[in-house]
Amino acid sequence: MNIFDIIGPVMVGPSSSHTAGAVRIGYISRKLMGEPVSKAQINLYGSFLATGKGHGTRKALVAGLLGMNTDDMRIPDSFEIAKEQGMEVHFGEARLKDAHPNTAQLILTGQSGRQLEVIGQSIGGARINIAQIDGIDTNFSGDYPTLVVHNLDQPGHVAEVTSMLSHKGVNIATMQLYRSNRGGEAVMVLECDQEIPEDGIRWLEKVEGVKKVTYLSIE
Amino acid sequence: MAGYHSVKDILTICSDEKLPIWKVIMEEDCIERQVVQSESFAGMRAMYTAMKQADKSYDSRLRSASGLAGGDGEKLHIYNMSDKKLCSDFTSLAMEKAVKMGESNACMRRIVAAPTAGSCGVIPAVFIAYEESFNVPEDRIVEAMFITAGIGAVIAENASIAGASGGCQAEIGSASAMAAAGLAYLAGGDNDCIVNAMAMALKNMLGLACDPVCGLVEVPCIKRNSAGAVNAIASAQMALAGIRSAIDPDEVIDTMRRIGNAMPAGLKETSEGGLAQTPSALKIKEKLEEI
Repeated sequence: MNIFDIIGPVMVGPSSSHTAGAVRIGYISRKLMGEPVSKAQINLYGSFLATGKGHGTRKALVAGLLGMNTDDMRIPDSFEIAKEQGMEVHFGEARLKDAHPNTAQLILTGQSGRQLEVIGQSIGGARINIAQIDGIDTNFSGDYPTLVVHNLDQPGHVAEVTSMLSHKGVNIATMQLYRSNRGGEAVMVLECDQEIPEDGIRWLEKVEGVKKVTYLSIE
Repeated sequence: MAGYHSVKDILTICSDEKLPIWKVIMEEDCIERQVVQSESFAGMRAMYTAMKQADKSYDSRLRSASGLAGGDGEKLHIYNMSDKKLCSDFTSLAMEKAVKMGESNACMRRIVAAPTAGSCGVIPAVFIAYEESFNVPEDRIVEAMFITAGIGAVIAENASIAGASGGCQAEIGSASAMAAAGLAYLAGGDNDCIVNAMAMALKNMLGLACDPVCGLVEVPCIKRNSAGAVNAIASAQMALAGIRSAIDPDEVIDTMRRIGNAMPAGLKETSEGGLAQTPSALKIKEKLEEI
């Protein structure tokens, strides 16, 4: 661990996993959405569900969805701010099997109608793992610029994505490939060392066989 | 990960490169994050500044969502202002600041996790009280913060800084050991003194269970921050007096890991054992469920 993981982060209490980690899950989900969230169904699991109230987990998730980071003093007032900004929020219980004890499932609708479903886990010390996007398993922290591409499981898509990144001078830090079944739906998750330029993302969205492009900018 | 993996590694780099501990830690941070020294130093100063802001913004009227936490820091403050207090001005102030920070955390105020939110009061309490009581330049405190952070990184790598995996010894115990090392440096201790202060502080906290009532970072966490701060001061003072730990510092850290592994799950943040299962705690739980 880096020394600033030891001293830090600066955060609103009371719990790095149940408060700061929850803010991060909301925050990264908002970034993945790429536009303001108009409607959020938030389902909680395990310890998030059981002890979440005393830790402000619900307020923290909503704060993150509003674009607040872990040190934002407005976190305790996030419900009121969501109301002011017209963000509709509902809470429920997540029905997941053998999930991480601190898990939240966010089913989101953006202002343009864009849909996104994220399952995030708070894995300790305010660090998180995005474990699922739109029903397909993933595994990334949100600490790097991250590209998530949903495409048909057919030859060539990995090459298209990686050559675009190479062309833009973006180095790939990690890369994961998943698919529902042979020839079905596939997802690739790439964590990068640099930000991917906007036109690269727009180009990818138009590639035949690519169904959805989600990009997490950390700027 | 940094180029050091143990207390011994840090001391070896210090003697090979003829550098003080804080500078070794800072230089390793520069390599790891690809930043220059002024950026690393400014980053650590920002953490200390955030701690001071959190200390200043304590509000004795606040209560946590459960209603269990709040107002005790003010009680300590009033008592410390009287001529009846038992400890020195410095130690009394550290106790008070530790409780206040723990309460601020429980009341959803902004704090610095050091190393965790539950143990966020120990390190700022010792350092801010020291700066206020002994009137040292802030740069010295920032240097001490590097020592504190480097010790914490070694503990995190070789044992744990999470109550869920190591019990409270990993949270308040680690914070106390980290603070003791920094304090020994501030008070003029050499490298040997610094690592022995750390070792003694951690030894005094070994075996401490993480058994929070209702799973909240309130009982017994808040008051334990003051114990961690006072233990850091006691350990630094012992080390400064020339007392040495009979057990090697790295072996103490390894012991904390082994004890953490041997602890039953009920004593590791699950609230299924210890104080969390007392009749008093269960009564509190019943009340909370009605809210």
